[in-house]
Amino acid sequence: MVERQLTISRGTKRSIVKALLSVVLTLAVTSVVFLINNVNPILAFIYMFQGAFGDINLASETMIRMTPILIVSLGLAVSFKCKIWNIGAEGQLYIGAMLGTIAAIGIGGGPLSLLAALVVGAVGGLLWAAGPALMKVKLGINEVITTFLMNFVGIYLVQWMISYPFRSPDTYFPESSAIPSSSALAVILPGTRLHLGVALALALVPLVYFLLERTTFGYKVKVVGENPEAARYGGMEIGKVIFVSLVFSGLLAGLAGITEVMGIQFRVRGSLSPGYGYTGIVVALLGNNNPIGVALASLFLAAIMNGSSTLAWTMNIPMGIVDLMQGLLFIFVLASEPLVRFLERRGVLKL
Amino acid sequence: MIEFLALTGLAAATLRVAAPLLLASLGETIAERGGMLNLGLQGAMLVGAFSGFMGAYFAGSLWIGLISAIIGGILTTLLFGILVINLDLDQVVSGLAINLLASGLTLYFTRVLFTGGVSPYLGELFGPMPIPFLCNMPVLGEVLFTQTGFVYLGLVSVPLIYVLLTKTSFGLRLRSIGEDPVIASYLGINVVKMRYAALLAEGILAGLAGGLLTISMFNTFDPRIVAARGFVAVSIVILGRWNPWGALAGSLLFGFTEALSLRIGIIFPELSGASINQLFALLPYLVALVALVVGGRGVRGPASLGKRIGRER
Amino acid sequence: MAITPLSSPFFEKREVNSTPQNEEYAIFLKNISKTFPNGTVANQDVTLGILRGEVHAILGENGAGKTTLMRIISGILKPDKGEIFIDGKPVKIRDPRDASRLGIGMVHQHFTLIPEFTVRENIALVLATSPWLDLKKVDEKIAAVSKDMGLEIDPESKIESLPVGKRQLVEILRLLCQDVRILILDEPTSVLTPIEVDSFFKMIMNLKSSGKTVVLITHKMKEALQISDRITVLRGGRVIRTIPTSDANEALLASLVVEGMLPAPTLVRGTPGDIILKVESLKVKDDRGRIAVDGLNLTVRSGEIVGIAGVAGNGQKELVEAITGLRKVESGAVKLLSQDITNKPTRFIIEKGISYIPEDRMHRGVVLTMGVHENLALKCIEKPPMSKSKIIDRRSMVKNAESLISKFSIKASDPCTSVENLSGGNIQKLIVARELSNGGLVLIAEQPTAGLDIKASEAVHQKLVELRSMGVGILLVSSDLDEIMKLSDRICVIFGGKIVGEFMPENLDVERLSRLMLGAD
Repeated sequence: MVERQLTISRGTKRSIVKALLSVVLTLAVTSVVFLINNVNPILAFIYMFQGAFGDINLASETMIRMTPILIVSLGLAVSFKCKIWNIGAEGQLYIGAMLGTIAAIGIGGGPLSLLAALVVGAVGGLLWAAGPALMKVKLGINEVITTFLMNFVGIYLVQWMISYPFRSPDTYFPESSAIPSSSALAVILPGTRLHLGVALALALVPLVYFLLERTTFGYKVKVVGENPEAARYGGMEIGKVIFVSLVFSGLLAGLAGITEVMGIQFRVRGSLSPGYGYTGIVVALLGNNNPIGVALASLFLAAIMNGSSTLAWTMNIPMGIVDLMQGLLFIFVLASEPLVRFLERRGVLKL
Repeated sequence: MIEFLALTGLAAATLRVAAPLLLASLGETIAERGGMLNLGLQGAMLVGAFSGFMGAYFAGSLWIGLISAIIGGILTTLLFGILVINLDLDQVVSGLAINLLASGLTLYFTRVLFTGGVSPYLGELFGPMPIPFLCNMPVLGEVLFTQTGFVYLGLVSVPLIYVLLTKTSFGLRLRSIGEDPVIASYLGINVVKMRYAALLAEGILAGLAGGLLTISMFNTFDPRIVAARGFVAVSIVILGRWNPWGALAGSLLFGFTEALSLRIGIIFPELSGASINQLFALLPYLVALVALVVGGRGVRGPASLGKRIGRER
Repeated sequence: MAITPLSSPFFEKREVNSTPQNEEYAIFLKNISKTFPNGTVANQDVTLGILRGEVHAILGENGAGKTTLMRIISGILKPDKGEIFIDGKPVKIRDPRDASRLGIGMVHQHFTLIPEFTVRENIALVLATSPWLDLKKVDEKIAAVSKDMGLEIDPESKIESLPVGKRQLVEILRLLCQDVRILILDEPTSVLTPIEVDSFFKMIMNLKSSGKTVVLITHKMKEALQISDRITVLRGGRVIRTIPTSDANEALLASLVVEGMLPAPTLVRGTPGDIILKVESLKVKDDRGRIAVDGLNLTVRSGEIVGIAGVAGNGQKELVEAITGLRKVESGAVKLLSQDITNKPTRFIIEKGISYIPEDRMHRGVVLTMGVHENLALKCIEKPPMSKSKIIDRRSMVKNAESLISKFSIKASDPCTSVENLSGGNIQKLIVARELSNGGLVLIAEQPTAGLDIKASEAVHQKLVELRSMGVGILLVSSDLDEIMKLSDRICVIFGGKIVGEFMPENLDVERLSRLMLGAD
């Protein structure tokens, strides 16, 4: 019986094949785009890889980039497993960052300030998700629409806050004051910017795995996601499960936002997140909502992001390539299921 | 008198900014009546805005811009069709994928084509086309009859689409698919063909809705130009109860909010002051959320909306 | 089940000329085979002729391949092999439109009417040829056909507001409006009461005398004998034999339908004890907000099977959901022993000891994509040994699954395999196993044998009887009157959301029972 648990199940094997297939297809289409731009794709991918992992500094920058993506997508994995499509992580991230920053500045320096910032940031994200969660559970309104609209409300609100009430007095651009340097997340690798947030993100991987696979809450999330009618019949409070999974993803989104502030940016700017909330969606799906898969996927996306900035100055490929690759990845992750089924039927793949 | 003129201006602006929402929500109404919840509407508008701009800019003709906007919209909704009709994938996730792909594509190519990723301005745009005689009427002349062709098109489409859905065989078949595609196919209705037809219609309307942003409203392209209009349009469809007239009412409501948030300083000079103005930018989205809470509870759309068809047996 | 294959179907000598090209055959099927992607062989080398103007019964138990065969004729499924001849000419039927062009129409067990549409819209949907909807022409057609067949149906009424029996008539009306010559009816009487069946059969004779060919799919021998001209028996996807009804009798048919007769089960009646479940003037609304259960009173005693007989759609579903906490009770009370469980959460009701085998087992009873062990823990995941302080004990889940799999002889490759890999019968066994192992006081069994073959049905019946002898009170809701009569210690008739009559099995009056089911009396 123990052996059975250790061997990789057929379902896991299938999702690994699906993820690899979508990555390969994405790279293939991206190669075509490179060729159109008169760029040698193989060379481009080598530059990308070097840009992401070329030396200890670049590698740690990639890890830093991975941190918010990983935290966001772990949360999204939980809500997606419940078939609740939170696409409002971006707004939740900004609200969490803003509120956490206010807390950090308000309390002053020191570890207490850091702790308060992380807690307030996470709770801020949670609260921002609670509105759509209530609307979903109490009124049956599609969470996709509400969470997306909440992004705009949240981001405009933060824009306004850093332009007026919480604007730093000593900068020209709208941005908040800096957090006290004594409350920032400590650097864990001297000589780089790699901060404690990375460890926090990695520690969340086994925690979320445990939550999904070994707790009754994880079991209920799965049942509600796969068959809500059976969940009701089995005596589960569906509304509660949906609510908790959605606000949990908000909580981690808020945590991602404040971690980004406390670890690397030290203040809230309009450019705090280049769309981590949306990247998280792709990452969660690519990782098949499995925390380990999500961790690998977020490293992959972080590498693409950082690698592409090298690409920008070496081969004149614009940074937008990241967004393009994300979009392609999303489509191919979706299409990989019917594709694998087709290949199995044709006997090309045996799983 | 000044206030009155401001109100007339507000009413005219309401229609102007409602036009993209109206066109998009009419398209979505057709798709949803056929059982497809297309959240990729946002992406279709974005691609429409992008291809419309590029067509107009590189061909130097607004009309070519118009046609390429329509083509861009159609290609996007047809891609959605491949995902949900042929591959039978989840509609919500497919819509999200389309949105992300659309924003990736447009962002990337804008940066490839224009240094700094900022598009130039078009030399000309589709401006208001006053309707002879009618435009001279007091108040109504300015509000209703001195608008762009897109506004007229949207307004005329409302009764046309209503008739299409309720008085034609096509409409009856489409609605039957929206209620139950499995039964409809038992009855010999070609679900695939009908759904693609609905997506074609949606693609045209979404392409126009996006295109008008670049070739009639802002005369430039910015990857963020659509903002959340696609999702607002989806909310309008719900609030409008999947009825074209409801879509009109909803679009006017949101058009009004947006126009108000843009002109708040003109109408209420005492409120002007930059700090408040910026906060008003979030008003339309807040109104959309509140409207969903008030008007979106317990409404029943087409029975098969958002569901996968499933395979043989 | 082992099947003795007969190399060729048996045809009576008096049949003129059994070649496909013979124009006396409205339909002739030659060597039709169909295997589903999941490996189920539904039809194997079926050769069968249906004469013009006859009523032809296709008899067989569930899973014999009757419906699949008819779906092939009506263009919904494509055969893997074989040919179809209509009026002696070979045809290809690619989709239902082709079938309809050839004059073939089918009434499915699950109706193919759009519930949100009116009768007129439903009929217009299949008649519409011009781009513009001509509802007036549709109305004229409906009026003409209704007059011919003596049907009274208001074209304005919405399907969802019509009773089931009426909906079936709308289905037939729609086929006749399409000028169908060959009607295929799939288990048409399963939604009718015995009295309605009589008038329904009169209508079939009407159809026959107006020159239509009728194919009747049924698993009831009596019906086949009563109404048909010829009978074809299917078993295991093959034609066993085609015989004129005048040469057939129940014993012969029974031996053809089931290979090797099962010993008739000897059922003893229960010995009811005290009242454990009591429903008092219960009012419940349906999905559309109309009163579906209307002041219903009911009791179930321990060690008793109470059968609820009724035409589908008379509040059975809402009654069951109200008792199990899945639907809100408007007024009245549900009491378990002395405890009021009205409007309590489902979980509370489960824990107090009400088990429930749902009718819709795929959507309600199991999570197809999850493992057998996880599904078996669905109702006890929060309790030890399955979990302790919210942490799951996987080992206990697997152990529980292994013991139930062997006890209920569920065929599963291993205890962790996905439920979607199980057959329908085994999924039902899994649900029964879970519900019976909960140690409840009351079991609600809703259509527990629908869609199961005879062997699997018998196994479920045995389990129910076994449970009764252990003192459990069982509420059996079934549209299969035979099942109700076979098992019940007391039969309650439900109509319009009320219990309108009660019978003890020893003084059962079938005639009166049917009248009550229809709301007459």
